[in-house]
Amino acid sequence: MKQGPTIYQRRIVIGAVFCAAAFALVGVRLVDVTLFKPHTGGVETVDRPLTARNDIVDRNGELLARDLPVVDLYALPHTLSDKDGAARDLARVTGADYARLIDGFDNTRHPYVLVARRLTPDVQANVMHLGLPGLEFEPAAKRFYPDGRATAQLLGVTDPDGKGVSGLEQGLNGALRETGAGKPVQLSVDMRVQYILGSEVEDARKTFGAEKAGGIVMNVRTGEIVAMVSLPDFDPNFRQFTGDDSDHNIMAADRYELGSVFKVLSFALALQDRTTRPDEVFSIGNGYRIGKFTIHEAEHMPATLTARDVLAHSSNIGTAQIALRSGPVRQAAFLTSLGLLKPLHSELPEFARPLYPDHWGIIETATIGFGHGIAVEPLAYVSAAASVVNGGRRIVPTFLKTDADRRGAQVIAPETSAELRGLLRYVVTNGTGRKADIPGYDVGGKTGSAEKPGKHGYQSHVLVTSFFAAFPIEDPRYVVFVLLDEPHGTKETGGIALAGSTAAPLAGRVISRIAPLLGVPQKPVTVARENT
Amino acid sequence: MVRILNTVCVALMGLSILALYHVSEQTRVASVELNRVGRAIVQEHATISVLQTEWERVAGPARIQELAAAHLGLTGTPAVQMSSFDLLPRRGDDAPLNNSPIAQASAQAADTAVPHSGL
Repeated sequence: MKQGPTIYQRRIVIGAVFCAAAFALVGVRLVDVTLFKPHTGGVETVDRPLTARNDIVDRNGELLARDLPVVDLYALPHTLSDKDGAARDLARVTGADYARLIDGFDNTRHPYVLVARRLTPDVQANVMHLGLPGLEFEPAAKRFYPDGRATAQLLGVTDPDGKGVSGLEQGLNGALRETGAGKPVQLSVDMRVQYILGSEVEDARKTFGAEKAGGIVMNVRTGEIVAMVSLPDFDPNFRQFTGDDSDHNIMAADRYELGSVFKVLSFALALQDRTTRPDEVFSIGNGYRIGKFTIHEAEHMPATLTARDVLAHSSNIGTAQIALRSGPVRQAAFLTSLGLLKPLHSELPEFARPLYPDHWGIIETATIGFGHGIAVEPLAYVSAAASVVNGGRRIVPTFLKTDADRRGAQVIAPETSAELRGLLRYVVTNGTGRKADIPGYDVGGKTGSAEKPGKHGYQSHVLVTSFFAAFPIEDPRYVVFVLLDEPHGTKETGGIALAGSTAAPLAGRVISRIAPLLGVPQKPVTVARENT
Repeated sequence: MVRILNTVCVALMGLSILALYHVSEQTRVASVELNRVGRAIVQEHATISVLQTEWERVAGPARIQELAAAHLGLTGTPAVQMSSFDLLPRRGDDAPLNNSPIAQASAQAADTAVPHSGL
């Protein structure tokens, strides 16, 4: 008779089974960890520096803003044997206030004293060389803008906690604070164009002694803002304003009565509705009376002008007659379709609500026709004017890079847009915009010189001059808008401060420098003509 | 038989313990090394980040223009003097401005060029 396993043998088998199960468990876990489980640990966290906000780059990948690793320096006063000497040394190296430090070191209630925030690596090294005990460095980040003032108004700044408080830093705060992404936010801005626009506008501002000045370059098909400048500006890397520094972006946060550049829109409406023809003759005279008001010209005009010359010579009287044919209802509807009667919303948080009359009657229709009685932000005007020259489709601005044609609803017919572009070219070749004409590029545009309102009505010698330009005018790719707030005439301009002498040449200089960079082909015929 | 099996099991267990200890120690050392390398990478990333930013600052258009004007004597180039490969005529084609006044461009460009300061 076969005997069964003894109690000891059973125990050994049970023990062996337990051992085998334990080894199997360890084996399964090993396979799981080594083959199937994705690795998480220290290595992945080192792929990018520990920063709070993502980079901002321009359309070509050039860095515009980055969080740099810095440290906050704290001291433990109870470990300092010579508190006065330590305070003196730390104040010298970090720029901290000596009195504040010594007060903090003598105050026994606080174990930690903040010595200085956002120390750069070189300052940190200098602190280390002091050899003081009881110092602690806390990692932090400092937003740095390599191009300084050139992008200040556009990018804005962040607060000490890394939250955007103005400009695109605020408008794109969500995208910039996306954790784990580490992907830079790419803007539509071209830093080369931004610099050129900024330097030319700054030169013009100095030359004409303007209070403020600004400029915008926009792609008329994608709506991308390629450059935006507002002066005076400030240095975003040093939060202290000097001189006439300002963080106010006049191109987005201010509204202006832009004057005659609005005639572009009045003519677009008139051509679209066929209420006038370019060769129709208008009587100008010495004044145009509507009720108890009389509209005058800024400069002497011939007795009669064709509609084409009304635009070319910027006749208020002629434009008023043309605008009146459209009527208030149609004019308001047209400006609404261009987005001029509502605040413009873009990635930029700054905007200005437009000002327009509550009662939109005959007088208002006439004055709005030549750009008085309505105040809009310059960016909104650029968007509207780009919409009537780009084939007649509504385009809204964006500050993010895109390759898509973002043109929307048709606001005027493509044929009307082409006809209008012909008139704008005529303004530059035969009218007030001659100084914007440059060799190699067919520029079309319109001047605008508006008197600024004061306490006692419009001030005849206090102007806002501007120029709206599109190029190449046959099939525009970009528009340029420049504005000078309170420019003064110079010896070279014969004391004249009107847009034809101030803003138009500025726009011409900007286009002559940026067009080759933007790859806009030159027109050989124009080159030849300009050089004969 | 059972005794041999027991001995082998105990021996295997001892070897396993040693092996596990060895692997554990290697893992600990590797982990320390990994953290050290990780910190070094973070530090290098930070340094690269600072250097990139510094490069962007010193290679900015404003500084380049300033240096070019100061040391190279470069001045603004009229747009008509710039061209692209697209505008070059193919072999055998007529030049785009054949017999046209463009021949005078280089002579007259300086006069007609829009002046601007700085450059």
